[in-house]
Amino acid sequence: MKSNTVMKKMNRRDFLQAVALTGSGALLAACAPAATTTTDAGKEPQVNQAPTNTPAPATPTAVPAAASAVKISWWNQFSTDTCKKWFPEIVNTFMLDNPNIAVDFEISGGPPGGGNYAEVLLARIAAGNPPDTITLWDPPSGYGSRGALAEIDDLMSIATTAKSTAFYEGVLKSCQFKGKTFGLPASAGVGCFFINKELFESKGLSTNRENLPKTWADLRDTSAKLVEYEGDTPDLVGMVPWDSPWMNSVWSQLNGGTIFDSSTLTYKIDSPQNVEWMNYWLDWAENQYKGSMEKLNILYTGPDVYPDSPFQLKKAGMATSGAWACTDAGIPFKWEIFAPPPGPSGSGPKNFYWPNWFAMPKGGPHPQEAFKFIEHMTTKGWAVWYENATLDTPAWTGISPEVINKALEAQEGRERAIELQKYFSEMLKTTADVWTSPVESFASDTLASAIGEILNKVSSPDEALANAQKVVQAKLDETLKNG
Amino acid sequence: MTVVQAISKITMPRLSRQARDNLTGYLFVLPWILSLLVFTAYPMIASIYFSMTRYNVLNPPQWIGLANFNEMFRVDPLYWTSVSNTAYYVFFAVPLGLAFGLVLALLLNQNVKGIGFFRTVFYLPGLVPAVASTLLWMLLLNPQLGLVNQLLGVLGIGKLGWLGSPTWSKPGLILMSLWGGTGGTMLIFLAGLKEIPQSLIEAAMMDGANAWQRFWVITIPMISTTIFFNLVMGIIGSFQVFASAYVAAGNGAGPLNTLLMYMLLLYRNAFRYFNMGYAAAMALVLFVVLVILTLVMVRFSRNWVHFEDANR
Repeated sequence: MKSNTVMKKMNRRDFLQAVALTGSGALLAACAPAATTTTDAGKEPQVNQAPTNTPAPATPTAVPAAASAVKISWWNQFSTDTCKKWFPEIVNTFMLDNPNIAVDFEISGGPPGGGNYAEVLLARIAAGNPPDTITLWDPPSGYGSRGALAEIDDLMSIATTAKSTAFYEGVLKSCQFKGKTFGLPASAGVGCFFINKELFESKGLSTNRENLPKTWADLRDTSAKLVEYEGDTPDLVGMVPWDSPWMNSVWSQLNGGTIFDSSTLTYKIDSPQNVEWMNYWLDWAENQYKGSMEKLNILYTGPDVYPDSPFQLKKAGMATSGAWACTDAGIPFKWEIFAPPPGPSGSGPKNFYWPNWFAMPKGGPHPQEAFKFIEHMTTKGWAVWYENATLDTPAWTGISPEVINKALEAQEGRERAIELQKYFSEMLKTTADVWTSPVESFASDTLASAIGEILNKVSSPDEALANAQKVVQAKLDETLKNG
Repeated sequence: MTVVQAISKITMPRLSRQARDNLTGYLFVLPWILSLLVFTAYPMIASIYFSMTRYNVLNPPQWIGLANFNEMFRVDPLYWTSVSNTAYYVFFAVPLGLAFGLVLALLLNQNVKGIGFFRTVFYLPGLVPAVASTLLWMLLLNPQLGLVNQLLGVLGIGKLGWLGSPTWSKPGLILMSLWGGTGGTMLIFLAGLKEIPQSLIEAAMMDGANAWQRFWVITIPMISTTIFFNLVMGIIGSFQVFASAYVAAGNGAGPLNTLLMYMLLLYRNAFRYFNMGYAAAMALVLFVVLVILTLVMVRFSRNWVHFEDANR
């Protein structure tokens, strides 16, 4: 009745004015900055810190946070069912061990609220409201060199587990720029070559790893023995070495060159070793694929060893991938792996690795707690992931050799699983210098473009690499000068 | 005191009725004006400012004047590659999209049983998100397993490399746009066709005009405003093609950068290369080009678009 009285006092004009005023107010309120995602220690926690937005099976052991818990946020791009199952477990274990820290996160393939991860992350960093911790799939050097990530050397020096000596030296280097460390590597999935054992055997080639190619010449010869043609179009390829641009830097170093020299912060794209490498590939394309990328690409529709790839369709005898594919690719036939061999001007092994990096954006209010979290995720936490999910070789050297990946063991047997894990871990002792440039993505795209021009005979190796060198070095110089 | 009570007590005793009416009007448009200022005007003005700065998003922008434009026009070879790719795409995708949309609309303008079902079916692809439709088309255009090459094989045409081929990657992208983008165009054409007075058609028939003549002399002039609208929107949309190129090119730019569309290069600069200033400059140039193109089209529309208002 009371409200009726009020309504009677309002004529239509007043009502409409009120509606307009309320609408405007609501819009202004919507434009106001979001509430902070952190809760200071000592204040009442706003949320129980069980993982958010995860499916029911993912949170069976959600840990209630202590009343005084410091709330930190973790952003990631993980999305698969395996991720949804295991990361909440791993985080919960952390919260059990650290009841004074509560981690707010979701496994949804992007930032909370959706959107492109890089876009939203950059926007939040620019706005001065970044998450406390992040998982990066781009190297920390790019963010770190521009001052967006916290330096963690001091924290590492007093850390219980994540000391600088606790990670493979070459892998930790991917987090460093000018001697400062801007993140921690969790995984170091090792790049390797896969072979289809059945195809090899059908061509009378040995599938024993000891007999697999030890040099580029071996590799090219082995590839040639697998190639088959139907008319003037390839029907089976041996190997297409240029199919994985992420390996380019390693190919260069296998031939004694480098793309980026992190010690002098210079690019060396047009070095003689790299020109030799490009000529080697040109020769490979000419002799095995008649120099026609157009015809090759009709058969060879994509890289890697996952379903529907030429490798799984038995149209390629060899393919580039990484340790992770051993458990994730579901290869339906017998396979073997081997390390990329050195080139004619190279002197030894150089191995690729592909980390999941954990880092802390600069300016977070709880650096100690955030560091503890990334320390856990990159050491003991990643060991849990490694054992139960993907064969994403840990960058942490402290992992027990007793930890065997269950999927690999079920698939390949315990003995072979142990042998494979050991092989990948050994490869991490001779890693290539990768992921260390502050203009990594730009350089990678530019080099891939140059190699495309070379293989399609639009430019000569000298010309294309010189152009790429000029453009990338200029970009690096500008970045080093201006950020 | 409730909020409603509080608001109801707001009085404006000293204002005239006219002023109060004005104020009421302003209050009503206030949400829209605020939205325009905050979400449209401010980003546009900020973008113009950023285009003249070196801005990596992570640090404050530094004023560099026209250096980004100089780099764009005179230094960056990929810029002109992206312009060329986009121009190619616009040149073929827009007319083909218009023609395809018009043909579909003409077919769906027939009085046949179940026409509602067909209209729905032909419009459905337009509702599929660009990423999903691109992934679907990547399967269809797979040189080994794809349906398109299988069909071409039936016609005796050899396999094409499509997205893996420098020659066929852009036609592949255009093919995708026809499937996904024609639904909306078709619907607008259909609305235009429905507006044509039946009396005109009947009069032409009585004068002995055949179907082809009726189409050219009545239908096309009568839907010229619709064609004009679809043309303008098609050109603007095609210049901004992004999602399909982004997905189809994987993490790259297609063979020999043939899928490096303007917006893809812009995106890469903004979010992959930490070069937001340059990306803002690219956006500004695109905006200016689209405004000029639209004005030119409006100017020349007088020669071929039949507006109802003859004084226009």
